[in-house]
Amino acid sequence: MFELDVATRHIKSRRRQTLFSVIAVSLAVGIIIIFMSMMGGYTSILIDSTTENQAHITVMPKEGEDYIHLYHGLENHIYDLEGVEGVSSYFQGEAALQYKHNAEGVLLYGINPEDENRVVNRDKYMLAGEFTSIENPGSRIVLGYKLAKNLDVGMGDSVTAQIPGAEPIDFTITGIFQTGTPLDETMAFVNIERLQDLYRSGDVITGMGIRLSDPYASEDLANGIDRETSYDAISWMEQNAEILTLLETSEGMVYFFYIIIFGISGFGVANVLIMIVMEKMGEIGMLMAMGTSRRSIMLIFLLEAAILGMMGVVVGCILGYVASAAIAAITIPIPPEMYFGMDHLPVVIEFKNFITASVFAMVINIIAGVFPARRASKMDPVEAIYSV
Amino acid sequence: MSEKYIIQIKNLTKIFGDGVEIKALDDVGLNIEQGEFMAIMGPSGSGKSTLLNQIGILDTPTSGTILLDGVDVTKMSDKQRSVTRNKQLGFIFQYHHLLPDFNALENVMMPLLINGVKRSEARKTASKMLEEVGLGDRMKHRPNQLSGGQNQRVAIARALVNKPSIVIGDEPTGNLDSKASDNIYELLRRLNREHNQTFILVTHDKRMAAKTDRTIQLVDGKICEDSRNGNDD
Ligand SMILES: Nc1ncnc2c1ncn2[C@@H]1O[C@H](COP(=O)(O)OP(=O)(O)OP(=O)(O)O)[C@@H](O)[C@H]1O
Ligand SMILES: [Mg+2]
Repeated sequence: MFELDVATRHIKSRRRQTLFSVIAVSLAVGIIIIFMSMMGGYTSILIDSTTENQAHITVMPKEGEDYIHLYHGLENHIYDLEGVEGVSSYFQGEAALQYKHNAEGVLLYGINPEDENRVVNRDKYMLAGEFTSIENPGSRIVLGYKLAKNLDVGMGDSVTAQIPGAEPIDFTITGIFQTGTPLDETMAFVNIERLQDLYRSGDVITGMGIRLSDPYASEDLANGIDRETSYDAISWMEQNAEILTLLETSEGMVYFFYIIIFGISGFGVANVLIMIVMEKMGEIGMLMAMGTSRRSIMLIFLLEAAILGMMGVVVGCILGYVASAAIAAITIPIPPEMYFGMDHLPVVIEFKNFITASVFAMVINIIAGVFPARRASKMDPVEAIYSV
Repeated sequence: MSEKYIIQIKNLTKIFGDGVEIKALDDVGLNIEQGEFMAIMGPSGSGKSTLLNQIGILDTPTSGTILLDGVDVTKMSDKQRSVTRNKQLGFIFQYHHLLPDFNALENVMMPLLINGVKRSEARKTASKMLEEVGLGDRMKHRPNQLSGGQNQRVAIARALVNKPSIVIGDEPTGNLDSKASDNIYELLRRLNREHNQTFILVTHDKRMAAKTDRTIQLVDGKICEDSRNGNDD
């Protein structure tokens, strides 16, 4: 492999150009790894918090109906499905909560706290009191901390609920939660039987939440429930389709951005190689006179592109790793209610990002090497030799 | 009869340019025997380099044929031309054209490595060749650490290392002073006698040409004189 010899000597003897192209490639690789780590961080935080704070599947009444009647059978049936970890039936209604002169519109959720905890871990988000305090049908309420603040109420205070078509009724606050989402301002939980009574609806529900062991199985399972029961089952993905599409679109945009960054580094490498080819014209002619085939001349410069790329990739991966780790270690002074209660920038350092960035960089580098290499291999040996 | 000639050139014409045509070689015919040590002379622009590059299959003719060892090289593919240059031809130019990033030994090894010879074997053959040109003590030197004459010797060692049957030199001493030129000529002459290789050298120096067996004069792309010098032993 004398081609490799010649390629490595060229690179060794051109320190400045080598340094330049290694910097170009490693910056591109490094920046892209940092980007991917941060994008991955935000995506996973968004998806984790979504799948944690929402039912993976929500079953809604049949079309044209307001309630699911005889839901206990459905509950049992779904519980028996594979991968189902929890089922929580709820009765949801709109109401106004009033305390002294303050009034706020809320979504009242009638639930069984034990069932609900299995679908979304509400206990985890309690600021004060117990979520399970609404276990028995009584006039107790658990509400979001922002809602409590807006009403200017605290634990043990009594709020009046205005429910359409019913007498105003007082609830005692036995719990306050904080999720870091807009629900903190609009949601309140009461006992399901109590709410059914108030609405005089009988033993019916307005929906059912389901938790799965694998959130990504929800699409299939929801379709299955749809087909089997004629109720309307919606997966969290369907429910959050807009956010997910947005994520996908921004990922696509980011790839476009990656291509530009790599393109710039590719131009850097191509430029260095063109310089080497021009400088080594006489040498290329002499190599041809000595019997080096055009294919081998081409190979020499492609190898140079590959070697420069490889050095850049190695340096870039180290750079990307160190920078990502450094960003992940920074504590950021943002209020905890923003960004889902994080105090660190979300960074996910994934091996596959390094592979993607490296392969991407190598491919671009070799493409960048093709033009100079072709140019070298197409040289007229006589012209090349007498050019010196 | 034809086996006698290592090089047979018939009706060789080379025309340069598409707009203004320059006839660099005009219907040249020439036969050269194995082991000949010959010089090509002629005024500047008479076509000496052009003829040499045709023999060296670095360039293609406009018309005519060139047989090297009985094989028509004008009909060869690019790949065959490369292989023939590597195995049958040795090149020496006015400038040594050594690879600057390789030392003397590595430079001389290069034609062997291109030919696919094993590295250890190439090293042995190349160092023997360097010793033959009197540079046994300079093998690890890079071209920029050697004098012009020394570099030209390395270039000669490189041209001869694959034992080519034909060695062509385009003003191989054109860049050296007369003493160094004499030395190079003596070296080439000695190698020619020892290995019975054919040498074709372009020179402007009458004194040098007189030391060869045969001198050809080119004028305007035509051979106008072909004389034996009586130096043959
Ligand atoms: N690539 C080319 N394109 C056009 N014309 C060329 C080319 N190469 C050579 N020529 C022309 O062909 C003629 C012969 O050139 P050549 O180089 O063979 O001369 P030469 O005898 O070697 O001269 P010198 O002694 O100066 O080296 C010249 O007129 C030259 O201008
Ligand atoms: Mg010339």
